[in-house]
Amino acid sequence: MSTIKEYLTNDHRRCDEIFASMEDAASNSLEDAKSITQEFIDASEHHFQMEERVMFAEFEQKTGMTEGPTAMMRQEHTQMRSLMKQLMDSLEAGDKDRFFGSSETLMILLQQHNMKEEQMLYTMAQQHLSADSDRIIAMMDSLIVE
Amino acid sequence: MNLAGLRADQAPPISAPLRFFLTAPLFAIFAGFLIFISDPSSLMSRFSPETIAITHAITIGFLGFTMLGAMTQMLPVLAGVKIYKVKFVSLFSYTLLVIGLIFMLFGLYFSKHTMSALGVISLSIGFLTLLLPMISALRSVDNFSSTVKAIAVSIGFALMSVVLGAILLSAYATGSFSSMHTILANIHSVWAIFGFAGILIIGVAFQVLPMFYVAPRFKQFCKKRVVLFISSGLILWALANLFFVGYAILAKIWIGLFFWAFSTTVWIKLNRRRRPISDVTVWYWRASAIYMTLGLFAWVIDSAVEDKYIVIVSVLIGGGFILSIMSGMLYKIIPFLVWFHLNAKGYMNIPTMSEMIDKKFAKIQFILYQISIIGFIFSYPYPDLLQYSVLVFVLSMIILEYNIINPVLIYVRTIRTKPDFDMSSFNMEPNS
Repeated sequence: MSTIKEYLTNDHRRCDEIFASMEDAASNSLEDAKSITQEFIDASEHHFQMEERVMFAEFEQKTGMTEGPTAMMRQEHTQMRSLMKQLMDSLEAGDKDRFFGSSETLMILLQQHNMKEEQMLYTMAQQHLSADSDRIIAMMDSLIVE
Repeated sequence: MNLAGLRADQAPPISAPLRFFLTAPLFAIFAGFLIFISDPSSLMSRFSPETIAITHAITIGFLGFTMLGAMTQMLPVLAGVKIYKVKFVSLFSYTLLVIGLIFMLFGLYFSKHTMSALGVISLSIGFLTLLLPMISALRSVDNFSSTVKAIAVSIGFALMSVVLGAILLSAYATGSFSSMHTILANIHSVWAIFGFAGILIIGVAFQVLPMFYVAPRFKQFCKKRVVLFISSGLILWALANLFFVGYAILAKIWIGLFFWAFSTTVWIKLNRRRRPISDVTVWYWRASAIYMTLGLFAWVIDSAVEDKYIVIVSVLIGGGFILSIMSGMLYKIIPFLVWFHLNAKGYMNIPTMSEMIDKKFAKIQFILYQISIIGFIFSYPYPDLLQYSVLVFVLSMIILEYNIINPVLIYVRTIRTKPDFDMSSFNMEPNS
C-alpha cells in the first residue's frame, strides 16, 4: 500500500487534471463546463475532508499541534471553498471573465497550498503516522463526504 | 522539520516583497532618463562609466530588486524556511540598496569618486544584509527540491557577484584599476546574469510553468542535472578566463547550450500547456525564450569579433530574456499577494487577480516594451533610433509601474475598511 504522502499527493494530481479539463471546457462554452466544474468541486471537497476529518485529526491527536500547520491548511481550504463558490456563481451568471478570474486565483492558491502540504506537512505526517499509515489510508479511502 | 512556511504569522509581511517590486520600474525609468541624456557613441562601449551606470540601474535596480523581493516571498513557501527577522532585514537592506544604487549611479555617471565609494559601502551592506540571512535560512532546509537547490546555487553566485562588484566599483572610487579589472568585470557580469538571474529563473520555471499554466513537468534529468552543469560551466569559464583564455569559448558554448535547451523547452512546454488562457505573462515567457536564443548565439559568435557587439548581447539577454520574465512574473505575483493577504485577513468581496490589472494596459505595456527592445538593437547600426527607443522604453516602464501599483492601491483602500469576516475576533489579545 502507498504511503499517506503518496496517497494524498496522487489525489492532488487527480484534482489538477479535473481542474485543467474544467478550464478547457469553460473556454469553449460555460454551459458545457457546469458538470465538470461540479466534478472538480466535489473532488476537491472530498480531498479537503479526507485531510480535515481523517489525516489532520490524527496528526493533531498524535502531535498535540492543533494551532500549527493544520490550522493554516484548514484556513486555506476555507479560502478555496469560497473561490469555488464564486466559480459556480459566475457559471450561473454566464460571466466568462469572472469565471477565469476566479479560476486563476484558485489555481495559484491551490498550487502553493499543495506545495506546502507535499513538501512539508505530508512529509511530517508520514514521520509521525507511519505506524498507522494503512489504517489512515483505508479510512480516507472509505470517507463519505458530508 | 521546519514549518515556517505553513504558518501565516511567520510568512513575510506583504510590504517586504512589494517594496522591492514597486521600486523596480522606477529604476528602469531612471535608466531610460540616463540613456536619453547620454551621447549614443559613449554607449557603444561596454566599459564607459555611462554604460556601466545605465546597466546597473537596470541590473540592480530592476532585476536585482525584483529577485530579492521574490526570494523573501519564495523561501518560506518553496523551502519552508524563515528568514531571520525578515521584516526588519528586508526594510534595512532595501533602504541601503536604494541609497547605495543612487550613489553608485551618480558617482559613475558624473565621475564623483566619493559618491562611488559611498555606493560600494552601502550596496555591499545592503546585499549582504539580505543574502546572508537567506543563506543561513537555507541551511535548515530538510527537503531540498530541485527549485530550492537552484535558489541556493543562485544565491551563491549572487554573493560572488556582489563581492566582485564591490572590488570593481572600488576601482572607480579610488581611480586605481588593477591589471585584472577587465577579467574580473567579465566574471562579475557573466556570473550575475547567468549564475544569479539565469539559474534562479530556471529553478523557478521548474515550479511555475507546471503550476501557473498546467504545462508538462520538467524531466527529472533536467531538474536534477541542469543547474549543476550550468554552474560548473560558469566556474570553468571563469577559470579559463583567468588561466587558459583560449579555452574560454568552450565553456561559453557549454553554458550557452544549456540555456538554449532551456529556452526551447520553455517554448515547447508552453505549446503543450493545458490551460487555455493566453495572457501577457505567457507572451512574456515566449518573448524571453526567443530573445535568449538570439542572445546566446550572438554571445558565442561575438567571441570571434572580440566582443565587439557585447552591448547587443546584453540587451538581448538582460533586457529581452531576464527583464521580460521578471515583468511577466510581477503581473502574476503582485495581484496574488494582494488577494491572498486580503483574503487571509477576512476580506471576501475583493476583485479576483485578473480584475486587479487592466488587461488592455498590460497588453499595451508588453507591445511597447517589445518595440523598445527591437529599437535598442537596431540603434546599434542606426544611432538615431536610440532616442525614440528610449522614449518608448520609459513609457512602457511607466505603464508597468501603473499596472502593478493598481493592485497595491486596492490593498491599501480595502485594508482601511472593515473586513467581511472579522478575523480579529480570533485574537485574544486586547487592542490588537
